[in-house]
Amino acid sequence: MTFFRKLGWWVHRNRREEELGDELQFHLDEEAEEREAEGLPPDRAARAARLHLGNRTVVEEQVHAVWTWTLLEQFVQDIRYATRAMAHNRAFTALTVLSLALGIGANTAIYSFMDAVLMRTLPVRDPASLAVVNWHSREQKRDARGNREFVMHSMSGSTYEDAGAGVTSGIFPFPAFELLQKQSSTVFSAVFAYYPNRGANLLIDGQADVGRGEYVSGDYFRGLGIAPAAGRLLVAGDDHEGAPSVAVVSLAFCQRHFGGADRAPGRSMLINAVPFTIVGVTPPEFFGVDPASAPDFYLPMHANLLVDGAGLNGVSRDQYLAQDYYWVEMMARLRPGVSREEAQTVLAPVFQRWVSGTASTPGERANLPRLTLLSGAGGLENLRRQYSAPLFMLLMVVALILLLACANTANLLLARSAARRREIAVRLSIGAGRVRVMRQLLTESILLASLGGFVGVLLAMWGVRVLTLLLANGREDFTLRAEMNWRVLAATFVVSVLCGTFFGLAPALRSTGVDVVPALKDVRAGTGPNRRRFRWLSLNRALVVAQIAVSLLLLVTAALFVRTLSNLHAVELGFNQQNVLLFEINARQAGHQDPEIATFYANLLRSLAAIPGVQAATLSQASIIGAGRQLDIRVSGRDASGTRILNTGPRFFTTMQIPLLLGRQMDERDQPRSSPVAVVNELFAKLNFGDSNPVGRHITLGGPRPRDMEIVGVSANVRYQGLKEPFVPVVFIPYDQGNWPPIEEMTFALRTTGDPLSFVRAVRDIIHRTDVRVPLTNVKTQVGEIEETINQEIVFAKLCTGFAFLALVIASVGLYGTTSYGVARRTSEIGIRMALGARREKVVLMVLREVLVLAAVGLAIGGPLALGISRVVESFLFGLKPTDPAAMAVSVSVLALAVLVAGYVPARRASRIEPTIALRHE
Amino acid sequence: MSTDRIELLQGTLELLILRTLLPGPSHGHAVAKHIQRTSEDLLQIETGSLYPALHRLEGKGWIAASWELSDKGKRARYYRLTALGRRQLVAEQSKWQAFTRAMGLVLHFTGDEP
Repeated sequence: MTFFRKLGWWVHRNRREEELGDELQFHLDEEAEEREAEGLPPDRAARAARLHLGNRTVVEEQVHAVWTWTLLEQFVQDIRYATRAMAHNRAFTALTVLSLALGIGANTAIYSFMDAVLMRTLPVRDPASLAVVNWHSREQKRDARGNREFVMHSMSGSTYEDAGAGVTSGIFPFPAFELLQKQSSTVFSAVFAYYPNRGANLLIDGQADVGRGEYVSGDYFRGLGIAPAAGRLLVAGDDHEGAPSVAVVSLAFCQRHFGGADRAPGRSMLINAVPFTIVGVTPPEFFGVDPASAPDFYLPMHANLLVDGAGLNGVSRDQYLAQDYYWVEMMARLRPGVSREEAQTVLAPVFQRWVSGTASTPGERANLPRLTLLSGAGGLENLRRQYSAPLFMLLMVVALILLLACANTANLLLARSAARRREIAVRLSIGAGRVRVMRQLLTESILLASLGGFVGVLLAMWGVRVLTLLLANGREDFTLRAEMNWRVLAATFVVSVLCGTFFGLAPALRSTGVDVVPALKDVRAGTGPNRRRFRWLSLNRALVVAQIAVSLLLLVTAALFVRTLSNLHAVELGFNQQNVLLFEINARQAGHQDPEIATFYANLLRSLAAIPGVQAATLSQASIIGAGRQLDIRVSGRDASGTRILNTGPRFFTTMQIPLLLGRQMDERDQPRSSPVAVVNELFAKLNFGDSNPVGRHITLGGPRPRDMEIVGVSANVRYQGLKEPFVPVVFIPYDQGNWPPIEEMTFALRTTGDPLSFVRAVRDIIHRTDVRVPLTNVKTQVGEIEETINQEIVFAKLCTGFAFLALVIASVGLYGTTSYGVARRTSEIGIRMALGARREKVVLMVLREVLVLAAVGLAIGGPLALGISRVVESFLFGLKPTDPAAMAVSVSVLALAVLVAGYVPARRASRIEPTIALRHE
Repeated sequence: MSTDRIELLQGTLELLILRTLLPGPSHGHAVAKHIQRTSEDLLQIETGSLYPALHRLEGKGWIAASWELSDKGKRARYYRLTALGRRQLVAEQSKWQAFTRAMGLVLHFTGDEP
């Protein structure tokens, strides 16, 4: 049959339907006339004719099927019918769509973050053929002196140690990179190296700023296949000593400082006081090779010696070509047709030969790193390592929410399908097939779910924004950007349809499985045993039980995180975090040199301390929470292993309000040239001097020139390096005594009267007046800094509490609905009971008892489940076990209370039933 | 349904309709009656399959329909063969005859077993 004829028929289907009616009527008339002619009376003849024709509607439908695309038409029909039914039941529709939207929306939001972390590919040409070069070694054992026996003697970068699996890292000595450059041309079309610049002072047109950069080898941009947005990118010729100092900047950076992309090339800027000429701009979508960082500028690898070489973060000339200093990361582009495995087979022996030549002891030779190639399509692993586990945890939680929403909707649909029994029975009895009716019911539930999905996506867009704010928590360098893309939307669509099918199937099976005759007679449910109904009622109850169990899981999770957070807040810091302003300054990067830099910091501190409202001011090489410095400390020649260092300025203990137990703190008496002193904390004193008084004793700081220091005071313990760490032995040393370690960036701390942030303007003015080249960074309050370090716990506590509340509401609504429906069905039974003398309290108790039995079963299932599953979150907890009895008790009581409330309302209504009215209804 | 009636083979109804319309236009009821009568009541046409078949043939363009007055002066939907339908009838008829001959040959075979 031609498409156009069908289309024509479909367009004129109304007229054709009329005609078909006429045609069949004519047939009936003819048939009836014939029967009459055979001698039947007219009425019996007409009846016989009708019987002969059979089910006229079915005939019409079958002819109809010839005309058009049946499935499509029926689908349109179903949708229209479903829309009408939904519009008719507004409250029901709104409730289900809302609960589904919350479930689907939460999943979409979390999933879009997962997508951003796990699925994103680098915005470069053919990302699939990129490979990241890594090495892997067995577990690195320490020798008697605590040193690892490994060819990597020192490093700058990250290594990852997985329990049992050994050590993995992506950093290599520069000679290893040169080796691959020379010997990998059969498998790689390009291999390039890069090393992060973790922050530099910039001066552009007299304006000071800070930025992060990346040192890249000559083939970096060619290997990635990037085209410039303006000017040119770095090439091999730029990367050798003595080449002109050139830089490439990111488009965002360029727009911030120069306006359009075309304005940047040819301009110059100072990076850590070294002049660079900007030659080009990277394209807008390019963010380097690490999704976790977006560099502002790219410099040739060799520029590292000029820009960072002087400081601790930089690479010295010796280290640059050393075979045991691991620092550069590498990526390569595979030649067409070469797989990663093949390339690894070729290169692993090459690296093996080279690295065995660098081993100096049998221990090192026994555990050489092996070269491995990982997929480079997604860029570096940093984001994944940081966020995979927490996001996966959140995804599990929201999946539970969705499960709950589905169970709830199924329950509501079950209750409603009971109300629609008559309608369905009518449709079945006039010849609708069971499959056809089920299809229609499923269309309804899938439409509901899709609507929920649609609203859910809207909610998710908002949720992603909120979640981004929560996760970033004011950090400027937060780079995890989630977005709605087709993958996320497709996943949402699939989830919606699956949900619709999932929660629609049971009610659809139930409604179409009715016994037509009693349903049509409208036999009041509950009068007489009916096994089938009982079974479905059990399903109804099973769903409520499941909801209670899932709610308990979510409540326990939330309670565990809230307890974790309160444990963290209750951690004894050892100093007063209130009313302290923190900020960082790096004078060395702005061009200050030894020994003038110490004077610069000391003068600046004096000016800052003079700001009205500042009670005390100090500085230290890092904040207490952010510190992490371990240097060689000896007590009477013995190594005081595990000792941490904090280089501080004068009046550190007054400003931070750390109690001094013995002696004095460091103050103006301690000058760069006066005799070296130190303050130790309680734990250090106890570990190294036992019960004797350490004040007046001497300790030695190792380094290029070992320094003897006199202990002048003992302080209380402080939370060095983070809240979750136990107290560690700490030695506080004046930042300006001796030349080791060199003075670099400094964190200033001001104890203020009133809101610390209201002093930022005054601080900025003073620093600007002192030296315009020095930018102010990382301005925050001490409270804010601590919140940042426990941000994940704060987010988990907030989100999980929200989710648990949501779960509680959904489950309560489900329980309320089921109980109300049960009461409505049993109106006459309750009426009879009351007519026979049952008291109201007794009726309330009767209904409540059923609710409580459901709750008890739910808790009995959910309890062990929660105990089992809470182990998954163990690594996110602090100061408590996943089986924390308090968390469990709180969750159970909250849930029990909600269940009681949800059950009491319908129970009370049941007790108000008037027997006379209830029985008259029969 | 009585047992001595014959179940129609798949596709034969269309051939029967085409053949019935060969002498001239006719309406649905008359087509059914004609097939029943000429087959000596052995073939009973189900209304539930007759009308879909008529509309299917119309869709294929083998028959055409128009509203006309019946012998008794009532409006009825008359179907007639189109040129395409006539060709189709010839083709189907010879196919059917070949089929029945083949069936007959096999069923009436009396020679030696192979």
